[in-house]
Parts: sequence; structure tokens; C-alpha cells
Amino acid sequence: MVKFSHVTRKYGNTVAVKDLNLKIAGNEFVVLIGPSGCGKTTTLKMVNRLINPTSGTIEVMGKNIQDLNPVTLRREIGYVIQQVGLFPNMTIAENIGVVPHLLGWDKNKSRKRAAALLTMVGMDPETYMDRYPTELSGGQQQRIGVLRALAADPPLILMDEPFGALDPITRETLQDEFKRLQTELHKTIIFVTHDIDEALKLADRIVIMRAGEVVQDATPEELLRHPADDFVAAFLGKDRLSNQELQVAQVMLENPVKAYPEMGMAEGLALMKRKKVDTVLITDHGGRFLGSVSVDEVNAKHRSFNTLGEIVDQDTPAIEKTAAAKDAFNRINEEKLPYLPVIDEKGLLVGIVTRNNMVNALASVVWGDHNGSS
Amino acid sequence: MEKIILLTLEHLGLSTIGVLFGIAVGLPLGIMITRRRKLAGLVVGTTEMLQTIPSLAMLALLMMWLGLGNSTLIIALFLYSLLPIVRNTYTGLVNVDTGLIEAGRGMGMTRLQVLRLVQLPLALPVILAGIRVALITAIGVATIGTLIGAGGLGELIWLGMKNIETSKGVNMLFSGAIPAALLAIACELGLERLEKALTPRGLRVSPESMKN
Repeated sequence: MVKFSHVTRKYGNTVAVKDLNLKIAGNEFVVLIGPSGCGKTTTLKMVNRLINPTSGTIEVMGKNIQDLNPVTLRREIGYVIQQVGLFPNMTIAENIGVVPHLLGWDKNKSRKRAAALLTMVGMDPETYMDRYPTELSGGQQQRIGVLRALAADPPLILMDEPFGALDPITRETLQDEFKRLQTELHKTIIFVTHDIDEALKLADRIVIMRAGEVVQDATPEELLRHPADDFVAAFLGKDRLSNQELQVAQVMLENPVKAYPEMGMAEGLALMKRKKVDTVLITDHGGRFLGSVSVDEVNAKHRSFNTLGEIVDQDTPAIEKTAAAKDAFNRINEEKLPYLPVIDEKGLLVGIVTRNNMVNALASVVWGDHNGSS
Repeated sequence: MEKIILLTLEHLGLSTIGVLFGIAVGLPLGIMITRRRKLAGLVVGTTEMLQTIPSLAMLALLMMWLGLGNSTLIIALFLYSLLPIVRNTYTGLVNVDTGLIEAGRGMGMTRLQVLRLVQLPLALPVILAGIRVALITAIGVATIGTLIGAGGLGELIWLGMKNIETSKGVNMLFSGAIPAALLAIACELGLERLEKALTPRGLRVSPESMKN
């Protein structure tokens, strides 16, 4: 779909892109990423000739783009920019219809297309078609920015940090939505970002650049497993390498409600009440996990016993913090446990996994949010 | 009375023609210098210099060269209207968000399409404000046009001033000065409304009407 051969772009003596060779196949979602000034945006803008290479050739759909009229070329390539770039003097329908208008579609066809696209992202055409960009929220505006690039159904779309200016929540929503769209539409996408989370989430392939050169070109999986050098590793962040296998330690709650065995029954009851829990975990003074005491036990036995240590359930199941989070989830589910204490390799109590935070952690995996790991 | 109305119309006509020439030259010139930024300083500077020439001196100089009559006045009005029109066209166009221009180009607009579909609509309020200033200035300058034999309300004002000791003279002065002032105010208000009407709707939306 797109092929860079020995492409160099210089600004005076500064080399923005240096002897770049890159092939992008049809339907591929390629993310260009790197620190600012690494040449990723220059690379992107050379595809639709907003910037021309100093040397080398770029082919798009088999044609050398230097031989093509830039205006014609650009109309065949979708383009989304960070500042959204909706034209404030045009309605939403007109904004979406810019390229169709340039291609000479009649107005009806172009409006129908706009309506269909709005429906696709869950925006009611009746409500939004004739509004102006300033009447929309930032997230809605950038949705329109994306739809505008899709309007004439180009096979190739260039996106220059499209979600960079959005707040984190809106950004994630749009990323998810866009990912879903991409699986339906099968476009070839070249996407520039400096956000590695975004790259890992969206990309089929990630091209990491530094100082105008490609440092590593790999799938997200390969990248995480085998970062090419320290630069890439640093760029990915340390924690992320264990991301693929989520560990218990990454999802557990720290500081569970705990007590020493000599705590009196009444005191134990008061503690549970104060902390609004129905179980306390018992450890010795060295922090070693001994077992648990439930509120029911205390209520049933407080006449015959004096301390929590006397009624502790020593068979309380626990899990090691280095175990896979998946195992903790499975045990909680299969053994119908309300919670699972987490211990380290020395048997010291370090945390707890509850049904509740299991659900949260699961949700974040399902919806692609990595916050359980960071 | 009839004469006053005729002179008022003539006054408006002369001013308008001067400004129309100003638009015909100033608008393309303003657009041109956004493409050749190096020329911008020179062009705006020149029109600024023209503006600083006192109107009486300007008329006198032009008269020596072009003789008496309406056309000399119109040329003076044209020269005066250049500055606000060129400057506002230039400012209006260069202040359009470069992101929008790049979005337009990136989607395959030609330079002319970027100008027509994006830059001009967005710069229109500023350009119209320039035209409004030009017209008001022209109405003012046109009152002394009578000194070089041009028409308009200046005739009544100057004759009135010559005979200021008679009540007829005072009346005459007022019958020229008041319509001239009213004409300027009417043009100001009329063009202000036009400006609002022609401002793209998307730029007029107040923040209160924003909905999510």
C-alpha cells in the first residue's frame, strides 16, 4: 500500500528523516511513535506530499507519488490532524462532506454519506448534521474529524496524533471506538502518536523512531517481549514488560484489614465494624499470615473464647503474589471464595484480592485499560 | 429639501464608488501579500503613508495633477480606503488557524479552494470591518470635495461657513453637516449589521448554547 525507499528529508543541515525504508501492507494499522523531533510526523506528511522528501521515493498503491498531482493524491487519502481542524464556518454535514464536495459528489449523496457515518459512531444524524463544530464537545468534534477522513471511503488514512488533545477518558473511548471501526472497515492506517499505550492498544505494527531513523519495527507483542535496545525498553516503560501475564501483585489491594492473634473478641468485632469488613486476616508480629476470622465466628464463639487467635481458621486459602492473576480469579470463582489473601514467598501477608477488585481488574483487561498494571 | 436629499445621495454615491475601487484593488492586494509575506510590510506601509497625508493636502496634490471634479475626489477616497481594506484583509487571512489551512490542504483543496472555502469565510468579519472603516472615512473626506469642485454635502457646509454671520448661512451649514453626520452613522450601523449577518453561523455561536 505504501512503500518508502531510501527516503531522506533535510531541513537545512538538520536531517528530519534519514534513509527510511518502510513497507506498509494493505489493511495494516501501523503506528509511528517516538519522542518529539524523531521524524514521525514528517514521515506521515510525506505520504500525502504535504512535505516532499529531499531524496528517495515513496510509492502509494504502487505509484510513485512524485509523479502524481498532490491535490488528486490527497483526495484519495484520508487525513486526520490533532487540532481536529473542523471548519468552524461549515456545518457537521458540510465538514464531513468536504472531500466528497471536492470530488464533485452531489449534495444529496454527500449528506446521505454523512448521515450513515454519524450513525456508525452512534451520533444521531437528525440532531447533529446541521450543527456547527463549536456546538459539539471535544470528543464529538474529533469523532467528526475521523468521519471526515472516512467520507470518500479512501483505502488509506493518515492520522497525526488524532486523540492527543483529548482528555484521558474521552481519548480511550475514541480509541476503542476507532479500533472497532477499523475491524469493520479494513483501512490501511498510518497513525502518529507519542503515547505508547495508545500505540500498543491500536497497532498491528509499531515503528519506533529516534532522530529520523527507525529503531525498531515490530508487532506490539514482539516489542514487549524483545525490545531492540535500552531506548525502546525505556520508551515502553519497565512495568509493561510483565503486562502480558498479569500477576496477582498487580491487581491486589494492599493493606488488608489485619489483626494479631492476641486481639480480644470484642476488639476484633469493633475493628471489623470500623473498617466495614466481615473478615479480618490474622498475622503474627512478623507479618506472617496465620489465617482469618469472620464476623460470624466471632459472634458465635465470643462467649467461649477470649482472643481471635483461638478461633482463627488456619485453612484459609491464600495465593502467592507472583502467581498469575488469572489463577486468583479462577480460584475465587471456582471455590466461591469472597476473597483471597495474598502472601509473598516468605509467607508474609502482602495484600488481598476480593471479588470486587477482581471484577475491576477484569473489566480493565476487557476494555483494554492497563491501569491494573501500573 | 429636495436638494439636500440629492446632495446626500451624491455624497453617498461618491464615497461608495471610492470605496468600491478600494475593494477592487485592496482585497486582491491583501490576499496577494499573504502569499508574499516579504511584500506585506512594503504594501501596508505604503497604504499607511497614504493615510497620513492630510486630506486637504491630498486633494490639492491630486487636483494639480488631475484637475477639478468628481473623479479627482473619487481617486482620493480610493487611496484612503486602501489602508483599512488591505490591512484588514491581510490580518483576517493570516489569523485563520494554520491547522485549518493544513487540514484543507491535506484533504486535497487547491490553494484557491482553501482561500474560498476556508480562509475568506473565516476572515470575512475582519474584512468587512475594514470596509466599514473605509466607508466612514470616505464620507468624512468627501465633505471637503467641494473645494476641488466635486459634489456632495460639502457644498452646503462650505457655503454655510462663508455666510456664517447670516441666519441663512447657519441654516445652510446645518443642512449640510447634519445629513453628513447622519449618513456616516447610518452607514456604520448598516454595515455593522451586514457584518453580523455575513459572519459564518458557526463563528457566531455563543458558548452558552454549547451542548454535549
